[in-house]
Amino acid sequence: MRRQLRSRRAPAFPYGSRYRLDDQDEVNQNYLADEEEEAEEEAQMMMASNSEEEKEEEEEEEKEEEEGQGQPTGNAWWHKLQVINEYLWDPERRMSLARTGQSWSLILVIYFFFYASLAAVITLFMYSLFLAISPYMPTFTERVKPPGVMIRPFAHSLNFNFNVSEPDTWQHYVISLNGFLQGYNDSLQEEMNVDCPPGQYFIQDGDEDEDKKACQFKRSFLKNCSGLEDPTFGYSTGQPCILLKMNRIVGFRPELGDPVKVSCKVQRGDENDIRSINYYPESASFDLRYYPYYGKLTHVNYTSPLVAMHFTDVVKNQVVPVQCQLKGKGIINDVINDRFVGRIIFTLNIET
Amino acid sequence: MRQRKLEIYSVEHHAATDIKKKEGRDGKKDNDLELKRNQQKEELKKELDLDDHKLSNKELETKYGTDIIRGLSSTRAAELLAQNGPNALTPPKQTPEIIKFLKQMVGGFSILLWVGAVLCWIAFGIQYVSNPSASLDSVYLGTVLAVVVILTGIFAYYQEAKSTNIMASFCKMIPQQAVVIRDSEKKVIPAEQLVVGDIVEIKGGDQIPADIRLLSAQGCKVDNSSLTGESEPQSRSSEFTHENPLETKNITFYSTTCLEGTATGMVINTGDRTIIGRIASLASGVGNEKTPIAIEIEHFVHIVAGVAVSVGILFFIIAVCMKYHVLDAIIFLIAIIVANVPEGLLATVTVALSLTAKRMAKKNCLVKNLEAVETLGSTSIICSDKTGTLTQNRMTVAHLWFDNQIFVADTSEDNLNQGFDQSSGTWTSLSKIIALCNRAEFKPGEESVPIMKRVVVGDASETALLKFSEVILGDVMEIRKRNHKVVEIPFNSTNKFQLSIHQTEDPNDKRFLLVMKGAPERILEKCSTIMINGKEQPLDKSMAQAFHTAYMELGGLGERVLGFCHFYLPADEFPETYSFDSESMNFPTSNLCFVGLLSMIDPPRSTVPDAVTKCRSAGIKVIMVTGDHPITAKAIAKSVGIISANSETVEDIAKRCNIAVEQVNKRDAKAAVVTGMELKDMSPEQLDELLANYPEIVFARTSPQQKLIIVEGCQRQDAVVAVTGDGVNDSPALKKADIGGAMGITGSDAAKNAADMILLDDNFSSIVTGVEEGRLIFDNLKKTIAYTLTKNIAELCPFLIYIILGLPLPIGTITLLFIDLGTDIIPSIALAYEKAESDIMNRKPRHKKKDRLVNQQLAVYSYLHIGLMQALGAFLVYFTVYAQQGFRPTSLFHLRIAWDSDHLNDLEDNYGQEWTSYQRQYLEWTGYTAFFVGIMVQQIADLIIRKTRKNSIFKQGLFRNKVIWVGIASQIIVALLLSYGLGSITALNFTMLKAQYWFVAVPHAILIWVYDEMRKLFIRLYPGSWWDKNMYY
Repeated sequence: MRRQLRSRRAPAFPYGSRYRLDDQDEVNQNYLADEEEEAEEEAQMMMASNSEEEKEEEEEEEKEEEEGQGQPTGNAWWHKLQVINEYLWDPERRMSLARTGQSWSLILVIYFFFYASLAAVITLFMYSLFLAISPYMPTFTERVKPPGVMIRPFAHSLNFNFNVSEPDTWQHYVISLNGFLQGYNDSLQEEMNVDCPPGQYFIQDGDEDEDKKACQFKRSFLKNCSGLEDPTFGYSTGQPCILLKMNRIVGFRPELGDPVKVSCKVQRGDENDIRSINYYPESASFDLRYYPYYGKLTHVNYTSPLVAMHFTDVVKNQVVPVQCQLKGKGIINDVINDRFVGRIIFTLNIET
Repeated sequence: MRQRKLEIYSVEHHAATDIKKKEGRDGKKDNDLELKRNQQKEELKKELDLDDHKLSNKELETKYGTDIIRGLSSTRAAELLAQNGPNALTPPKQTPEIIKFLKQMVGGFSILLWVGAVLCWIAFGIQYVSNPSASLDSVYLGTVLAVVVILTGIFAYYQEAKSTNIMASFCKMIPQQAVVIRDSEKKVIPAEQLVVGDIVEIKGGDQIPADIRLLSAQGCKVDNSSLTGESEPQSRSSEFTHENPLETKNITFYSTTCLEGTATGMVINTGDRTIIGRIASLASGVGNEKTPIAIEIEHFVHIVAGVAVSVGILFFIIAVCMKYHVLDAIIFLIAIIVANVPEGLLATVTVALSLTAKRMAKKNCLVKNLEAVETLGSTSIICSDKTGTLTQNRMTVAHLWFDNQIFVADTSEDNLNQGFDQSSGTWTSLSKIIALCNRAEFKPGEESVPIMKRVVVGDASETALLKFSEVILGDVMEIRKRNHKVVEIPFNSTNKFQLSIHQTEDPNDKRFLLVMKGAPERILEKCSTIMINGKEQPLDKSMAQAFHTAYMELGGLGERVLGFCHFYLPADEFPETYSFDSESMNFPTSNLCFVGLLSMIDPPRSTVPDAVTKCRSAGIKVIMVTGDHPITAKAIAKSVGIISANSETVEDIAKRCNIAVEQVNKRDAKAAVVTGMELKDMSPEQLDELLANYPEIVFARTSPQQKLIIVEGCQRQDAVVAVTGDGVNDSPALKKADIGGAMGITGSDAAKNAADMILLDDNFSSIVTGVEEGRLIFDNLKKTIAYTLTKNIAELCPFLIYIILGLPLPIGTITLLFIDLGTDIIPSIALAYEKAESDIMNRKPRHKKKDRLVNQQLAVYSYLHIGLMQALGAFLVYFTVYAQQGFRPTSLFHLRIAWDSDHLNDLEDNYGQEWTSYQRQYLEWTGYTAFFVGIMVQQIADLIIRKTRKNSIFKQGLFRNKVIWVGIASQIIVALLLSYGLGSITALNFTMLKAQYWFVAVPHAILIWVYDEMRKLFIRLYPGSWWDKNMYY
């Protein structure tokens, strides 16, 4: 009887082996390298089974492939297309995507119920969530504070370019202002709102859901910029009126006795480019009686106070950058990222 | 690729021609061993035109320009070294590092992200041309995408490089040295520096450093097993004995081992020009196939990329139809792709695989190729070598026969538990013979080492006997000293016995004791009496019959049987002063007293039967492929369970029923023992049939080419084949196999190079551990992928809704990347630590074409169930934030244009408050953060539910996998850091989120958990139902 018995061969790794042990490295990366032919073919097979949209792409790739490879692959592709086609609709077994009609309807029913109950659950969650949120007062207002500033007229641009002698260039500003000031008409204000004492908050205690009264802000407060005496708001004379309003914030109160003031100046360049600005109301401030704001739902007729800037003497035929700032306690006007908080920058270019 | 294929075919072709050649010679030679040798040599001979063995020393000197006495001069050697290169196997062509790196950069999803990044830049370019003050957002996004791709690429590359480095450090352990004569001086130099013409000295235990033509030899024996698979010692001398350089005695080959003796020789071939070098290059011609996991991952990448691209293009078209600007539509397309692509997943998979690789390395399974980690798990057939893998690779006494009785000896690894009856007088005599008639000796200085681990100088059977008697009798060396040896005749193949004469330790007994062991039939011939119960009896016919029965029985077990006898030389004839002479044999060698038989076997490792049973229950077929004799192979196969106790081969049935083999119904036999001879006559179809029909197969006396054929046969059955082996001759099969495992201790370099895995302890049960780990990682990767895919829907929905319903954008593209590469990374790795849900070793191996890593169920459940629930939950948080700040959900619809307008600085909310553009922007970022937190919170639930696929989480244990909790903690910490730590950096689009918003999605998270528990419950309650089929992934 002959037997095979290995003696112990002591050295486990003799010389020469160090190189060969990693000769499979390239295979290691196979799963990351899909440039190989089979991979691509397989890819297209995979994608085909996913959805119909992919078929389009696939066919494109297919064309490229065929161009590159010539005739022999054509048949293979034809075969593959047939396979895909059969997968989509197999007339023999009356199956689509490898499922019968019965199977599909079962799936549809089950998914219908699943999604219906999911929808019910999410609705319940949402409903209970919004029950907890007051419709009168926002839960948090820290994101909308400090107040931003906006001007009127506004037409997608803060650059006022117009030629005094060509009404077409400024007519749309006038229309815009007129439209904006409709809500400020004296008659309307007198009818809807109350005349409340100036210089103090107009505080209305009571339940949250009680309707609140609003203070009048009449168009006539704006004097020369009201458009009542000069229906062109000074545009026809090269002395444009620009209305400035502070963004509404529920519960916002300026510092007592120190109403928020507006002041404008040339932002960059010669200070004297603007020689005079008239403010209406003359105090150039937002009176305290317009605060606090109680929210849209109860404070229905609230009218935002305005400050009109009448640029009566501005250098003509030249772009003048203007910065209007709010000033007052609790007002921030130097946020770097937000150029509309407490300030606004626009340009005037009045041609004659 | 094509090139490589050609090479594969050429090897196959090669194997085929080998078979033909064998057939041609079949008639002349019956001995299949002979055939095997010839076949192999035939193959090598083709390239081998070596005539150095025929040359005389003088001719050699002139041919190689050297001097046998003085050796080469150092300068000449240096010249030759420069000319022929170092004496080492050239590494196979390696992919340059830069290519590997670039592959990582463009593989998988990377190409998609590159496209996204480039589109971003192009979009910005177009915007910039039309409006130089265009926002830099798309440039940022493009840059971030590029950075992401580069970072993940670098990471993957680093992981790969690390696992390669482990190997590199591992194999640099022993630098080989060689003793060489140069400039008339003996020098020890690194074997790599040997050149042709060097005169080298070899001694027992050395590895032959190159192909060497021997010039002189003293008792030199070599083990050529690394070359031929035959481990029988072959003697080597300086004489030219055979035309064939492979058979002549005066050439020894690179990487074979010198077992004993010394020799001096001249180097005739170095490095790649050695025989081994040529075989190794043959093996490297066998191409590698893609690992199963690579195929699975590719499949998965294609699914996800397909979904991403198709959804992206669909919505691009929708966006264009909805009159969006084309540039915006491109940005949407990019966002959708980014949302859909799990950027961090491939890195996660790599980490998971390398974690498993590490765990396996701890269990003595060193995996060279990360992907091979999983291949073991899908293995359905293991072709195992016998010697050393299944067996302990050392002869051990298994049975004894004396007093007409068979005793069983302990063959376990420590061997200490020898429980047979030792009271008989026969045993006393027998043990004395075993101890004395033995030339093997322990290596001195190892007294403290356990007996079984001590190094012994001597051949395998003598070693076995020495250890056996050392265990039972105690200090054998001492016994030998007390019984002084006077003369001995060592074993040789003509005598077939070994004899020695000793003085006895009994001072009163002046007789000499003659002890003898050898082939049982030869020993019996020399005996006239037999010892029974300590008394000599005449050896009558019945005793001889008993002897034969015992001999046959032990032989039938595949064991090597030795007979023992002794004889006390009469004191009158042989006085103390008698001078014995081993040459003339002036002492009696007949009419001795037969004492007993002893049989040895290379016993199976004690862990193997268990491991084989585990493989069985795991649905893995274990096939034994060995070069050993069929009887031994079958005996070992039976004892380890490769052939189970109650199954029979065709031959067994024939023997039992007493009919001819041809009459047996082949279907009755479960097991088959096939020899190389039979195999070579089989057509591939017959082999397929054999492999398919017999669950238990043993291939014996197989050649390397046949191993390759067997592996290919298995692969034709769609099986994932693991092969274990150790010799150079195994390397083609190792390479061909889906996963080759080389033996770490006995394995040859070539085998280790060809293998994907190295069993550091040469133990079969390590493979089983590997299978278990491989299956576990496959399951866990499923979980990881399911976990990662889920949030894709939650990431995708915001963009779709933004496009279709015009909500302010719920989450930004960069924020998404923070989920994919921030909060989700550690949790998805944590799933790799998950323990198995049930006994993974009790199920069938996965079918490599049917059981995909990412299947339809997984995608549907992740995308359409949990993913959708997650999206809803995240929207809930988003809506809450907006509503509490003043924008109720109803007012958000179709708000997009106003919301995104930079000029609109008094946008009214539901409370009549007016918002500047930047205030809205900031709110939008808060919304991003909220959506992000919503997804994060629900991903915690997702992580927990993904711990199991079928069992309840509570059965699995919430706290058993601690890493999951590390993952959850990391998610929360990263989110907190992003929100509160980096919330002030506007570029990252994170804001400080109010504490309460962190909890809005919690009920939803709980809902996800409950829903998944229900899913699992129904799967467990109704196995095989519609639910099970569609909801189990």
